[in-house]
Amino acid sequence: MALFTEISRNLRQIVFRNAEQHAIPSMDGALSPNDRLDACRPIGEPIPDVDDVAEGSDGALYVSAGNRVLRLAGEGYGERRVFTTLDGKAGGLAFHPDGRLLICVGGRGLLARDAAGHERWLNTVEDRPLLCPTSVVATKDGTIFLSNGSERHAPEDWCHDLMEKNHSGRLIACGPGLDGARVLRRDLHYPNGLALSSDGRSLWLSESWNHRISRAAIAGAGTGAWETAIRNLPGYPARLATAATGGFWLSLFALRTHLVEFVLREDDYRRDMMRTIAPAFWIRPALAATNHCLEPMQAGGVKALGIHKPWAPPRAYGLVVRLDAAGDAIESLHSRVGGHFHGVTAARETAQGLVVVAKGSARLLLAPGDVR
Amino acid sequence: MSITTWEQLSRSVTRLRYRWSLRLFLSELLQKQWFEPAIPFALMVALFLYFSLTIPNYASVANAQSLARLFAEFGFVALGMALALISGGVDLSVGAIFALTNFAALAFVNIFELPVPLAVIATLATGAAVGAVNGVLVGYLKARPFLTTLVTLIILRATVNILNQGYATVFATAAVDSDAWDFLGDGSVLGIPVNAAALVVVLLAGHMLLSRSRYGWHIIASGASRTAARHAGIRVSLMLFATYAISGLLCAAGGLFYAARQGSSDSTTGVGQEFAALTAVVLGGVSLGGGRGTVGRAMIGAVIIFLLSNGFVRMGVPGYVSSAAVGLILLAAVGIDVKWAKNRGKAIQKIYVNPALVEITPAPSIEAGSGTPFAENDRLLGVEAIGLDQVEGPEDVILDRQDRLYGSTRDGNIVRFSGPNFAQREVFAHIGGRPYGMQFDKDENLIACIGGMGVYGVKPSGEVFKVTDETNRSWTKLNDDSRVRMADDLDIAPDGKIYFSDCTTRYEATTYALDVMEGRPNGRVLCHDPATGKTRPVIKQFHFPNGVCVAHDGRSVFIASTTLCKIFRHWIAGPEAGKTEIFIDTLPGNPDNINRASDGNYWLALVGIRTPVFDLAARKPGFRLRMVKQIPGDEWLSAGLNHGCVLKFNEAGEVLESMWDPTGLSHPTITSMREHKGWLYLGGLENNRIGRIRLKDADPTWTGFEAYWGARRRDRR
Repeated sequence: MALFTEISRNLRQIVFRNAEQHAIPSMDGALSPNDRLDACRPIGEPIPDVDDVAEGSDGALYVSAGNRVLRLAGEGYGERRVFTTLDGKAGGLAFHPDGRLLICVGGRGLLARDAAGHERWLNTVEDRPLLCPTSVVATKDGTIFLSNGSERHAPEDWCHDLMEKNHSGRLIACGPGLDGARVLRRDLHYPNGLALSSDGRSLWLSESWNHRISRAAIAGAGTGAWETAIRNLPGYPARLATAATGGFWLSLFALRTHLVEFVLREDDYRRDMMRTIAPAFWIRPALAATNHCLEPMQAGGVKALGIHKPWAPPRAYGLVVRLDAAGDAIESLHSRVGGHFHGVTAARETAQGLVVVAKGSARLLLAPGDVR
Repeated sequence: MSITTWEQLSRSVTRLRYRWSLRLFLSELLQKQWFEPAIPFALMVALFLYFSLTIPNYASVANAQSLARLFAEFGFVALGMALALISGGVDLSVGAIFALTNFAALAFVNIFELPVPLAVIATLATGAAVGAVNGVLVGYLKARPFLTTLVTLIILRATVNILNQGYATVFATAAVDSDAWDFLGDGSVLGIPVNAAALVVVLLAGHMLLSRSRYGWHIIASGASRTAARHAGIRVSLMLFATYAISGLLCAAGGLFYAARQGSSDSTTGVGQEFAALTAVVLGGVSLGGGRGTVGRAMIGAVIIFLLSNGFVRMGVPGYVSSAAVGLILLAAVGIDVKWAKNRGKAIQKIYVNPALVEITPAPSIEAGSGTPFAENDRLLGVEAIGLDQVEGPEDVILDRQDRLYGSTRDGNIVRFSGPNFAQREVFAHIGGRPYGMQFDKDENLIACIGGMGVYGVKPSGEVFKVTDETNRSWTKLNDDSRVRMADDLDIAPDGKIYFSDCTTRYEATTYALDVMEGRPNGRVLCHDPATGKTRPVIKQFHFPNGVCVAHDGRSVFIASTTLCKIFRHWIAGPEAGKTEIFIDTLPGNPDNINRASDGNYWLALVGIRTPVFDLAARKPGFRLRMVKQIPGDEWLSAGLNHGCVLKFNEAGEVLESMWDPTGLSHPTITSMREHKGWLYLGGLENNRIGRIRLKDADPTWTGFEAYWGARRRDRR
């Protein structure tokens, strides 16, 4: 059986030479490991379940954290208050050109909220509930693009979606009034991030489970043909954000490991694991390593002579990558194994600098001034 | 059939499937030196059986005698070829020398009318002389063997043809009137044709020469690597010269017997012999690359080729078909020879690891507040550090009567700490290898298990001596297990016998992680008796035996199985002596060393904590196999090694309490602990320190040495 699998895999690689390569690329060049993310300064106290951040026209930061959206203002974003409370987990955030805040609410759908507190919901598209809204972006002319990660799981159950090897994500477009919603793309591998290029002419989309970023020109309320901008990333891409200098900030919430990729190939083992073991103790990528006794361990992760090796196979990792306008990585910020800030779900430029959301460590970070 | 019976059935089928592994058998078989000629040998036997069935009267004494007489001359030629190949060259002139010496023998007897003994010597000398010419060219003038002997072949062949034209008729009409000559031609010794008997004698001598003499070893060394042989001081030129001369001599022996038997010489004598001989010896397993081959293998190949061509003739197959067949066999043999020599190691490596089904009982809960004695706590958080950053991986720790602390570290040392607060560090002994478990004998010698070496002792003066490093080989295993591969922990019974664990007989101290992945009973428990100096297995098959501890009463030994997560009890005295039983069936982690506690109980270190995914992998051998093959070693799943845990159990097999370092910052991977005067000392395989923690209710005067050899021993009560 194993022999057959091996032969068929080898044959596939010979016959379909241009198919997705599944070997995990090594992290070199612009992705060479460093400790720059660990050098970032946390903003205030920990924020449990922090997920995304958006900068309002008032210069304040709006931060989704659990059932709430917080508003952080002032020098160093030291002033913190609750902006709104929701009946679901807040995820992706974006401001509409007309000043409304667009909030992805897990299990519910998309919420548009204006300064006066008026709310409008988008809950279903094509009669199917928006279970897993992950990211939202609005163009200058008011069209809203929304990614729905999965048809089966809410955002907090992303790991189930990965281990079930689902690809049921959708890309949705709707008008400024959350009207006329229609599906632009289906069967996506957990679309997790959306961003406009700095000239506003093209839409970029990250898919986590196939480690890929694709782009298309915006044409009215839809898009042109899609092409793959980056394939085979070494981690699972989360949100994308436009950089002022052109290009993007890409967050990767975890790195791929050989063991996880192996388990994804081992269907029998994976099914039994999901059936009999609590998700926290699965072989899986995680936003944070808990050091719990029952958590899986890999041979390279043993603490030797009092040191947890930074190159150990990572269960959790912190990584932000800056891409140029063509999609090539030009620099990166890492928090390696044994580092402090893992599970980065978003990184966005603000007036005070680059703000990084380390969800695994429940921290909002402000990058030092040299990161632009 | 009900569902449960079906499940039981499928489970036992799986169990059987993974217990007996053909791959495992094959991987160990391929490693054996004797396995290589086994295949040609089987081919030879099969060929003989086939012809016995298809050709009437084939398997008869008379036929065997006639076959032996026909074969012997070819045997000599093949032997000559084999020698040349083993020396790293080739001798293509064997057929031509055969023809020349055939002619020479006839000429000596018929034309010069020499007495037969003189003719024999002259013939052999002729062959040796022609061989010596080859030898000078190849050995001293460094000519390529292939071209040199090819040229010799052409010249000799032409010479023989010219000579034949003048003398063939002379031989045909001449009749030698000599009993000795006739005896050489068709005589027998004890029913064996004389030429075959001579061949047997030469083969025996050749085998002794090649495998037991300095000359033979030097030839093999020169063939394997000429440069290395020269650097080692071997006179390569002389060796090659001698080899070709001997090859010529052997061909001459063949030619002589042929002359005596046939009494004629023509242009076809010995034609094609060089290729038949080459095919034969390569088929037998003499490598074209040089340096590999034996006399026996060459003969097996020669017999195969001879039987085949002879059988073809008898079955009426045309000669050209038979030649083509031999040619194809040569091609196949050469191909296999090259590929096999190059890839054998890789083939073995690919199939060596064979994970088995590990039927592990469900782990007890370790959740804090779960109420089990295993519940996680933080009692080891306050451990004091001794020798911080001065020790590398103290696998075991022990204290002597002077309260000095010893640790066995990965740099091959036994480190000793003494003085107030153990501030004074010194290397007590450097043994090399990887020292693991330690124990003092009654003379205060420190006996230690050394991974990769065996069991060694250190006298109080620091002098190192070997205790044992070998045992008797078990006959049922292919792998030679006479050496102690990875002695891990030991303990000493009241009678002085040393019981120790040898984790694995399939892997080494550096690759034991593969043994854990494999989950087979590859380990064993051995007992060394200082009185007789003998080391004998006590338990021959054991799943990764680790900690060993003799019970307080000295009547049984506790043995930890790291992969099964169980403790076993082996009785060494009393009515149950010799029996092994499961003592603790279920542990939440992988047990390591076991040691005595002052209150009559025992301490047990858990080196790893069982994780649910690792337990699931234990039940899926195919998953582990593919993991080992497909992903790098650092990425393999392992038990949770980053948490420290020490347990205490009593004589009834009940676990009483546990002590945890939940952070794993100070003491992950705890492999050992020793109680000494109210303190517990902790050692760990990967630690940069030795830990020490005060025990609240422990006897502050109790020491291990007193409990084994002093006033506190309990085995005499």
